[in-house]
Amino acid sequence: MLNIIVCVKAVPDPKEACNIKIDPHTKTLMRCDVPLVVNALDKNAMEAALQLKEQLDVHICVLSMGPPEAGNIVKECLALGADEGFLLCDPAFGGADAYATAFTLARGIEKIGAYDVIMCGMASSDGSTEWVGPEIAAILNIPVVTMVKEIVESDKDRWKVKASLDNGYRLMQVKLPAAFTVTRDLNTPRTLSFSGIIKARKKEITRWAIDDLGVPAEAVGLKGSPTIVSELSSTESKRQAEMIAGPREEKADLLVQKLADLGAL
Amino acid sequence: MENLQGSVWVLAEQIDCQVLAVSFQLIGQARKLADELGTTVETVLLGDHIEEQAKLLIAAGADKVYLGNKTELEFYQPEIYSEMIVNLASERQPAIMLIGSTFMGRELSPLVAARLQTGLTAHCIDLVLDANKILEAKIPAYGGLLSIICPQKRPQMATIAQGVFPQPELDESRTGEIIPLDMPVDIPRRIQTLEVVREATDGVPLESAPVIVAGGAGAGGPEGWRKIVDLARALKAALGSTRPAVDEGWADLETMIGQSGKVVSPELYIGVGLSGEQQHMVGITNARVMVAINNDAKSPVFEQVDYGIVDDCREFVPVLIKKIKEYQEKKVTC
Amino acid sequence: MIDFTFTEEQEMFRKAAREFAETSVAPHVQEMEKTGEVSDEVVKALGTAEMMALTIPEDFGGLGLGYTARMIALEEISRISVATAMMLQVFALGIEPIVQFGSDELKKKYLPGLAKGERLSTTAVTEATGGSDPTGIRTSYKKDGDDFIVNGRKCFITNSHIADTINILTKSEDDPKLFCVFTIDKDLDGWRATHKEHKVGMRGCNTGELAFENLRIPKSQLLGEEGKGLRVSMSAIGDIGRGGMVGCALGLQVACLEESVKFANERILYGKPISALPAIQNKLAEMKIDLEAGRLLAYRATAMQDSGQRSSNEFAVAKYFTCEAAQKAAKMAVDIHGGYGCMEEYAVTRFLRDSFVLGPSAGTSDIMKVIIGRWVLS
Repeated sequence: MLNIIVCVKAVPDPKEACNIKIDPHTKTLMRCDVPLVVNALDKNAMEAALQLKEQLDVHICVLSMGPPEAGNIVKECLALGADEGFLLCDPAFGGADAYATAFTLARGIEKIGAYDVIMCGMASSDGSTEWVGPEIAAILNIPVVTMVKEIVESDKDRWKVKASLDNGYRLMQVKLPAAFTVTRDLNTPRTLSFSGIIKARKKEITRWAIDDLGVPAEAVGLKGSPTIVSELSSTESKRQAEMIAGPREEKADLLVQKLADLGAL
Repeated sequence: MENLQGSVWVLAEQIDCQVLAVSFQLIGQARKLADELGTTVETVLLGDHIEEQAKLLIAAGADKVYLGNKTELEFYQPEIYSEMIVNLASERQPAIMLIGSTFMGRELSPLVAARLQTGLTAHCIDLVLDANKILEAKIPAYGGLLSIICPQKRPQMATIAQGVFPQPELDESRTGEIIPLDMPVDIPRRIQTLEVVREATDGVPLESAPVIVAGGAGAGGPEGWRKIVDLARALKAALGSTRPAVDEGWADLETMIGQSGKVVSPELYIGVGLSGEQQHMVGITNARVMVAINNDAKSPVFEQVDYGIVDDCREFVPVLIKKIKEYQEKKVTC
Repeated sequence: MIDFTFTEEQEMFRKAAREFAETSVAPHVQEMEKTGEVSDEVVKALGTAEMMALTIPEDFGGLGLGYTARMIALEEISRISVATAMMLQVFALGIEPIVQFGSDELKKKYLPGLAKGERLSTTAVTEATGGSDPTGIRTSYKKDGDDFIVNGRKCFITNSHIADTINILTKSEDDPKLFCVFTIDKDLDGWRATHKEHKVGMRGCNTGELAFENLRIPKSQLLGEEGKGLRVSMSAIGDIGRGGMVGCALGLQVACLEESVKFANERILYGKPISALPAIQNKLAEMKIDLEAGRLLAYRATAMQDSGQRSSNEFAVAKYFTCEAAQKAAKMAVDIHGGYGCMEEYAVTRFLRDSFVLGPSAGTSDIMKVIIGRWVLS
């Protein structure tokens, strides 16, 4: 049996991103009004695990660190086909930077216990650092390959994967247990199905707070974050457009003239 | 907490025995920071047959180069590289560590940061020292700039994309130390690079293209996107994109300009059907002239460019292409 | 205290239906508009997504989810394509009489295939001589030993040319007060789909005529009791048919409001988006009010239906309200779009044409008022 833990993040729906605000005191993201969805790239990670489950004997745990509402996205992952869900939820975990997040998730993974593969999207749509996946691997002392765009071989004790490069890839062979962060090129995530939602009724979500993980408060959340936001300042734009107006053909003529004057034609 | 007076490090990267431009650019900026801190610039360079490259790093501004110059280091191996860097950093205690935001940099820097239990900032578009001589990494967010600091842990780490900082002048007369590194013993060897495949690209890479046509969500679909591609072709321009266009599948990730994409500084930038979102616009540094075509007169893009046209790009672009071709034909025949 | 919220699971059903509609139906809408034909890919996708299985009991291969889940699915699918929602709702219209009145044998024969979308169904009542008045139909049956011989024609039947499992309402040749509903399939000789209609709206949903000529039907295919066929067909059309139209109408209302908001925010006149103008805000408010009210009527009726209560009156109210509201919303959406509202590339023109077809389906607004009047005076 291959044990896969997929780490997923509940993020504000990128389609409503304009409504996101910053808390002026802690200078972290305030997520109240915008609905939470599964981070898009984490769906690619889930899909990879689900495809493997269709071919092999695979047990999928989905793990997330987030506010209570993140329970919905864990439930969604169960409805997609994961076997068990875990939510690390505690006010103390809030305001975490990439390192504190990776630390907390790593402790969560250790508490889940058995794992052969950790998978997650290469970046989240909100924080977008790309750090959490590799940092989890470093903390757990397991190898990691980032930006996986194809799983070539998935044997019990080692995998062969293609990792993206600019205009190309590197073919990596990795001994398990290992971590992989994935790109959108890996697959097309399936959509929720009604029967999956019905099957999820019987599946469990375990919630763990700080005491369940047995970690000190200074090691997690804002307190456990090596980096903090010191300031939010506004940028001044140095340009203001001179508008080229008129009927379409005229606008095009004027623009072509401008481009010619600039020597671009 | 006292600010340890360690040096400013740059993790340089080489591909095929050539140090990347971004590494030189970071040494340039590291030099400025080090001078302000009253300390030295040190770099780490790992590879094979790279002695000459090490000298170039000194010419760019490094005082010291820790050089791992062995066959085994020819290609990036995450376990070996991270072990060497972590050991060295634990021993030498740098104050700051800068890494280029390349494929290697983005995988290696978190491995190092996690093992050193320190902070790492991504997508930096500027690095300065604050009043307490702590590194302030500026990243674009929510229409403004966030300043991120790592007040306690060391080293303060940051990744920066190529093109954010200028290329420094090479001064061959500069002197510095090259310190050879030994291979570490007992490294876990759980990852192996079996093959590295690079497909040939045609055309000028975005980062050095003089003219760029970038498209966004306003293309509306693959058909609209094709028209933008045609415009780039008509202008012999490089094609850029925004995240929405990549997410929709119209454009490849390699063409994405912005916070998590490429940083460009063209002579001429034409943004078509994009709204001027910060995540994209921060990727454009020092463009000489910027033009935008957008169907919304109130679009924020018009506050960030020099010339604007309000129109539906799907209708306007074909007319523009026609006019460009007419102009070019006239030029030839005159 | 009345709880007006959906459960977490129902919210997930909505998400699943929305994702399905946006990925599997939306890409085919333009083509369906152009050709007016049913898209085979859409039918296949509906089957794979188990949309036909929602109201089929688990014992027969269905999901046994009930009518609120069905309403949610129809609402979300209609938001993308009213034609597809209509086709789907009529599949259920064909399924329900078998579930409620079919023998175990018939259920085993048809329901598993219907659940997978391998069989497609409909219920055929309307004829040239009677739709609003079903007793006026002329399709007749006469007994011949253990069989029934049927002759006649049906018109305005949704899914006429794609269905292979059809419940037909027939009247006794001998006694005009006796009706029978039979389930016919392609194994029987003597029936075929004839004329295909070209509708002004709901293009992509097939409507047409069926002809029966000396169609011999074994008595095992009878639904419910002999002679009591009106009850069978009316209970199907009453709740399922009306409920289905409500789902179609709600989805269209949502689409009209969303498109109108989008356009109103983008269209600049007098230096501002037109959403700043009171005249536009008024229209948007009306659409919103009708949508809120329609939703409450819809889900109140499905909640009653799910709990086993009689709900055909409540569905009549919901059907009347939402179908009228959808027609109003479509007209307002077109008005908001100004000149663009007449151009085919703008979705609102399709909304307007789709809204026409909502009215006469599963009972006109006037008939709904007859039913509701009766309810009030009873």
